[in-house]
Amino acid sequence: MPKLRGFNGEDRYNFLLALVGYLGHRTEVSLDEVAEHFNLEGDYIVKALRSLNDATAQVSGFEEWPFYVDIDLLDEGIVSLTTAEVIDDVPRLSTRQAAAISAGLSYLASIPEFAGNPEIKVLIDKIAAGSSRGIAEVISIAPGSVEAGAEQLRQAILQGRAISCEYINRKGEKTIREIDPLRIDLTGGVWYLRGYCPINLGVRNFLIEHMRGITILERDISDDAKQVSEIEDATYVAEVTDTTVTVEVAPEAYRLITDFQTVSEPKDVGSGTIRSEIKVGHLPNIGRLIAKYGGAAKVIAPAEAREYVRKYALSALGESTEDASREIE
Amino acid sequence: MAKDEAWKPAKTDKSERLFQLTCVLLYSERGLTKRELFHAVDAYRIDLQNSNEDDFALNKKFERDKSELREMGIQVTNPDQKSDPDDMRYQIASDTFTWPEGVEFDAQQLQLLNLAAQVWAQASLSADANRGLVRLKGLGIEPAANDLVGFAPRLRTHEPSFLPLSQAIEERIEVSFDYRKPDGSVSKRHVQPWLLRNIDGQWLLMCWDKDQKAARNFLLKRIVSKVVFRSEQVNEKDVSLITFEAPASEMVAAAITDLEEHTANQVATLRVKKDTQAWFHFHLDDHAGETADVSISYMDLHLLAEELSEYALDLKVIAPQELAKVIRARFEAVANAHA
Repeated sequence: MPKLRGFNGEDRYNFLLALVGYLGHRTEVSLDEVAEHFNLEGDYIVKALRSLNDATAQVSGFEEWPFYVDIDLLDEGIVSLTTAEVIDDVPRLSTRQAAAISAGLSYLASIPEFAGNPEIKVLIDKIAAGSSRGIAEVISIAPGSVEAGAEQLRQAILQGRAISCEYINRKGEKTIREIDPLRIDLTGGVWYLRGYCPINLGVRNFLIEHMRGITILERDISDDAKQVSEIEDATYVAEVTDTTVTVEVAPEAYRLITDFQTVSEPKDVGSGTIRSEIKVGHLPNIGRLIAKYGGAAKVIAPAEAREYVRKYALSALGESTEDASREIE
Repeated sequence: MAKDEAWKPAKTDKSERLFQLTCVLLYSERGLTKRELFHAVDAYRIDLQNSNEDDFALNKKFERDKSELREMGIQVTNPDQKSDPDDMRYQIASDTFTWPEGVEFDAQQLQLLNLAAQVWAQASLSADANRGLVRLKGLGIEPAANDLVGFAPRLRTHEPSFLPLSQAIEERIEVSFDYRKPDGSVSKRHVQPWLLRNIDGQWLLMCWDKDQKAARNFLLKRIVSKVVFRSEQVNEKDVSLITFEAPASEMVAAAITDLEEHTANQVATLRVKKDTQAWFHFHLDDHAGETADVSISYMDLHLLAEELSEYALDLKVIAPQELAKVIRARFEAVANAHA
């Protein structure tokens, strides 16, 4: 959904053109319907309409008013736009717009859940036809594998029901959990469940492959879970109690920086290596997180975090008798 | 959310300027010269009060606006090619606002388009996709269905080379970059980029390697320099020398098959401890006994080593021995870097 906070000049221009085209298809429509259709706030639509109403065009020395919005009707919540037919439809897609949507559709087609959906091919063809200058194939996505359980979790989300399952955490501990499921994320080929955890009283990220024996419960998700309005996209969401860790990552480990919310602007320290600060909830987890990158990621500070990484690596090498502490969730 | 600062209807606002420029161009039947446009669009006319039509900044602004319109798919054209830029007339191509027959979307289709547009985590791709989606919504009468709520597939692009490479593929321009092999050796590669492929979350560049004279795959995360467009290195008249023809679809298909066969032929065998994270990861619930052997095929030994590092304590590599060595070497590198 277009986020207003991120709406810039190009977005507004683009929206004005789409709005004129949309209103050209109908005589009168309620403001609420327009707002819902574009997933924008009513106030924003009103501002856009007023600006259309004020728009002028100098034609051969005369001032023309290409659009007329009935302001009295607008005050009653009804949108009526009369145009001088200068714009009679929405502009076709730009090459980049078409390419980005088309690649998104290809990605959907690579997900087993949609693989058999004939609509996707139809849509890709329509998008290519709707592009102003055709479309070049730039991106292709190899079919992935479905995570057992994902479909059941999606059904639970649609029904608004809680689930229970056996879950193995990053420490290797198995527990029976109840989770209020909210969203299934598929990122980098890995399936996650974003769910409200009644024990932690917050949204947590669960690896779906770490679940077994998923059961949809009779109870609805809790009111607290229903209150969750926005779920962050970052794999890890920082909390105030987190430790700030300074890391240096080579290109092979950039993912570490994007998976975490970085505290400071990443700084290039030469030959593609970037220094940044990340927030880590349970410090002993840092060992597993960093060791994965085989030397491409390095902890600079604090010393305690460096020690966790060293111990983790040594224990993986079988050289340490101490049990390296592992991640909680 | 819709705060006042989200909308600045001023004559100097960029969205208003581009919109007025579009309307003025659409009104004119014969097209307008630059001079005429400077007097017809409020923002340009305001600039003219303190300068003249030859003003460098004003001309630059106009050039930028034109190219922005083109980038947004508003085809600004010159109907009669004149050599003198002052006499050149500008118009918007008549099919810019005309959609081909049958491009309509029902509620289910709009929902899929919605989901497809939200796939991009990368800012500029996400902006392009969402602007396209706004246009498609403008065409539609029905609101999108919403029985796919609760599902958020995302494509991440962690690699800075992703955007320049996709642009180079679109424009068919040769590029060069430094590539670091897992052994640490770095070499410069000159390639004709064909396709960006995502395999199990990893981005690969499929391309023609000009030095090897063969189709090659490069992992984007091992590209350790900026991607250099060879068009930056030659004069404008020589650009044709560093652009290339689109690869034949058979060549691309053959390269994809090659990689698939390569992956199928590389098999690793692992012995996994019961009820560990690795046991869950490989879905071994049906196995009896305290361990289970699992065989998996892999595209790249070092990528597999990275994946398995997460389960180092839960499994033992049976074959190939090279995999066990690589995993060990990676942990040694980590231990040394933190000694």
